[in-house]
Formats: sequence, structure tokens, C-alpha cells
Amino acid sequence: MSAAAPALLPGEIVLDHASRAFSIRADRGGTLKELLLGKRTGGPAPIQALADVTLHIPPGQTVGIVGRNGAGKSSTLKVLAGIVPLDSGRVAIGGQLVSLLELGAGFGRDFSGRENILLGGALHGLDKQQIEAKLEDIIAFSELGDFIDVPVKTYSSGMYVRLGFAIAAHLDADVLLIDEVLAVGDEAFQRKCEARIAGQVEGGATLVLVSHDAALIERTCERVVVLDGGHVVFDGPSAAGMEYYHRQMNTPTAASVAETEGP
Amino acid sequence: MAELARYRYLFEQMVRRELRQKYQGSALGVAWYVVNPLVLMGAYYLMFGVIFTATKHPDYPLFLMVGLVVWIFFSQSLMSAAPSLLDQGALIRKAPFPRELIPGAVVSVQAVTFVFVLALVALVTIPLRGSLSPSLLLLPVILVALYVFVMGLCLAVAVLHAHFRDVAPILSAALLPWFFLSPIFFAPGDITDKATARFAMEWLNPIAPFIEAIRRVLYDGHAPSLAALAYVLVAAALALLLGRALFGRMSAELAVIV
Repeated sequence: MSAAAPALLPGEIVLDHASRAFSIRADRGGTLKELLLGKRTGGPAPIQALADVTLHIPPGQTVGIVGRNGAGKSSTLKVLAGIVPLDSGRVAIGGQLVSLLELGAGFGRDFSGRENILLGGALHGLDKQQIEAKLEDIIAFSELGDFIDVPVKTYSSGMYVRLGFAIAAHLDADVLLIDEVLAVGDEAFQRKCEARIAGQVEGGATLVLVSHDAALIERTCERVVVLDGGHVVFDGPSAAGMEYYHRQMNTPTAASVAETEGP
Repeated sequence: MAELARYRYLFEQMVRRELRQKYQGSALGVAWYVVNPLVLMGAYYLMFGVIFTATKHPDYPLFLMVGLVVWIFFSQSLMSAAPSLLDQGALIRKAPFPRELIPGAVVSVQAVTFVFVLALVALVTIPLRGSLSPSLLLLPVILVALYVFVMGLCLAVAVLHAHFRDVAPILSAALLPWFFLSPIFFAPGDITDKATARFAMEWLNPIAPFIEAIRRVLYDGHAPSLAALAYVLVAAALALLLGRALFGRMSAELAVIV
């Protein structure tokens, strides 16, 4: 990803003038007709999800990303996870393993929880021994009990998230990216997750957390980045950052009135 | 390549998923992978071996079978590789693993079936028609070349279909005439005496040299010509280069478009 860049420490994150736009056409795949007839025509203009974002996150830092819906938070995580490439600018991550946890993230629905753990580890490049060494811990953490051998399509959404979190938090990633999932579990499980994250961070992992839960961000993160329309509008200590965010939320724009109601 | 080696276990998992997802919940399960080609072969045998019997090839069913298994591997691989990236969109959006693994796993599952069915056919064909000559040693070389050739094409087809959803329908439309133009139920010499037509049939259709080389070893019991051997090796290398180049150029946006 970063050919000529200086070597980064494990867990270090660099975004350098990063920009990324998305087409919001309903049919994102093209057709040959469009290819043959040249440029695509019509449709709404692309959305700028990241606009010239520059961030440097040292290893072991805990960063909360907040902002209105559509501000570019999830896109930032996708870029950091290496799943979505940039249009321009540079992204570089130190270390081997970046673990992204998001709602409804892809599990084989016909496969058991146990098989999904193996697959989840394999997706991140772990081998059989490495995953099997963590298997029991993950199962224990997920509290799924006998459900671990049942196809995940039978899971409740809470169970689904518990499994997802248990996997993501046990991969021993250098960078842990979490997109708005902690709110789903019950309170006891949330506390357990926070403790697990704290343990990972103590072990040197970098945490980037996207959430609308102000209390969670203030508890978990030392630094807050506020995004708006793909731009970084605030970057600093979390207390000041959340203050900025609340001020922003209380001055609604026409477009944000409906959005901030949220799902 | 080192990157791919790191994901060896993922590849194993994907092959297993591929096998399970296809025929999960069906009584015969994985056995369908073998039953389907056998049924298809039976149908073609009825058509070209019993109904249209104008042939000069002795033990014609065996002649037909050898060509058919190769064709079935070729066409099934292309048809199942084309939608494979779209089918596995959930995984693509989850982690930045090498995306080649997805069509790679699909083709490899087809290849395992192919080798199994080909072994069944060979068990009958070699004693009846072929011979246990040293030319049989060339068979693994040709089979590996075929695997690489098909893999290259499948990489291209999969990534093209992810971008342009017309690719799979075009492919399935093209495969039907392609089947009848390929030397499967005939040898090029059977249907034309014209040198140019024969040349075109033998060399311009890239799957033809593979079919003929394998049939030559298994059914005729001879080594294929040097030209045919060189052709399959070069075709394999070119297909893989093309497939990898295209895949490399077009795979970055997969998480966005699938």
C-alpha cells in the first residue's frame, strides 16, 4: 500500500490529503453498453466522502470519529481497513492486521458460529493454528454457549454482534476499527467489550471508534475527530471535541434535520 | 505471491464453503459435482453416440467422453467463476484479502471434480483404447497447463463480470456455439478436408489443442505433437498473464461495486 513511504510502527496510521468520492447511482456496476458508448451520463453527482483528510494517529492512541450521518465516518474506516481505495492522497497503516467491526458485517449465514470464527480469522490472513489457538477464548467471550454450533442465520441481532465483536477483538490486530456496533449488545456485554478494548489498547493496539454515543466516546477515546461533509472540522482532545460536536448538532442545517434523527 | 501464501488457510476455507454452499441440504451433497457431469455425458452420448452414429472412431463413447470432460471443466469453471465475486460480496466488504482467492477457489473445486471424473474415464479408456506408454507421463503436464489456462480466463471473466453484468449472459450464449465448434464429438479431420478450415478448427479455438492433446494421450495412446504441447503451455502462460493483469487493474474497486 505504501511503497515509498518510511516504515511505520505497528498500529500507526497516516492519512495524507486523502480524498474519496462515491457514485450514488442505484446500479453501481456498469454495463457494457455504457462502456461502449463512452462516459456514463445522467444520475446524481458523486458524494465526496473524504475530502482532503490528513490525520496522523500514533500507535496505541484511542480516537473517536464523530459527525453527522453521511459525514464520512464509515468511509474513513473503510479506507483505513484497506477495503476501499482512495481517489487521491495516501493511506498507510503500520503492522499487519487491521480488524474492522461493523454492523451486519458479512458472515456466512449458513455456517455455524464456529465456522465463522475460522473464516473471520482466515479473512485476515491467520492460519489454522493461530485461529484455533484463539477459538476457545472467542467462544467463551461471545457467551453463545451451544449456539456456537448453530448456523448464524438463526442468531438474534445481539448474538450476531457478540460473535462479531468476539472475533474482531481477539485477532490481536494492530489497529482495531469499530463502527457503531457496541450500542447493540446489552449493558453487561458492552462493559465487557469496553474492558476488552482497553486491554487491547494497553497491549499497544490503536483504536478508531465511530459512534454517536457521546458517553462511550468520552470514556473510551483520548482524541476526537469531528467530520463534516468529508472534511476534518475538529481534531483534538476528546472533551473539547465532544463539546464542538454537540454545538454542531445543536445548529442543524436543513439537510441534517432529518438525518440526525438517525436509525 | 508471499501475500497469497499468507492466505493459504483462507483459500482452504473458501474451497470448503464453495463445496458446501452449492449443494447444502441436498441428499447427495458433494456427490452432485460428479453426478452432473456424468449425466451430461450420458445425454451427449445418447445424442452423438446412439442417434447420430456416423463416426469412424472406434469405441466412440470413449472418444466422446474424453473430450466432453475437458469441455465440461472449461465451461463450468467459466460459468461459475463469472458471478463468484458478486456472490462473495459480503467477504469482500469485510477485509482486504487477495480477491483472486474467490475465483481461484471456484476453479479449483471444478478442477478437483474434473480430475476425479477424468480418472474414471481414463480407467476405462486406457485399457480399451490407449496404452500404458510413457506418453501418459505428459498427461499431468497438460492437465496443469489446462488448469492454469482456465484459471487465467476465470480471473478475467470474474472481474469483468463484477464491473459489467453483461459478461455472464454473453458467456453462456457464447459457450453453446463454442461447444459445437470444438473438437469434442468429432475430430477436425472428420468434417473437413480443407486445410484452412482444419487449421482454424485446430488452432484458432484455444480450448481445441487442450482437448486434442488429452485425447491423444488417453484415447490414442500417443504423445501429442510438439506443436500441440508448446501451444498448450504458451496458451496457459498467456491466459494467466492476461487474467492477472486484468484482475490487478480492475479489482481495487470491488468492495464498492459488488
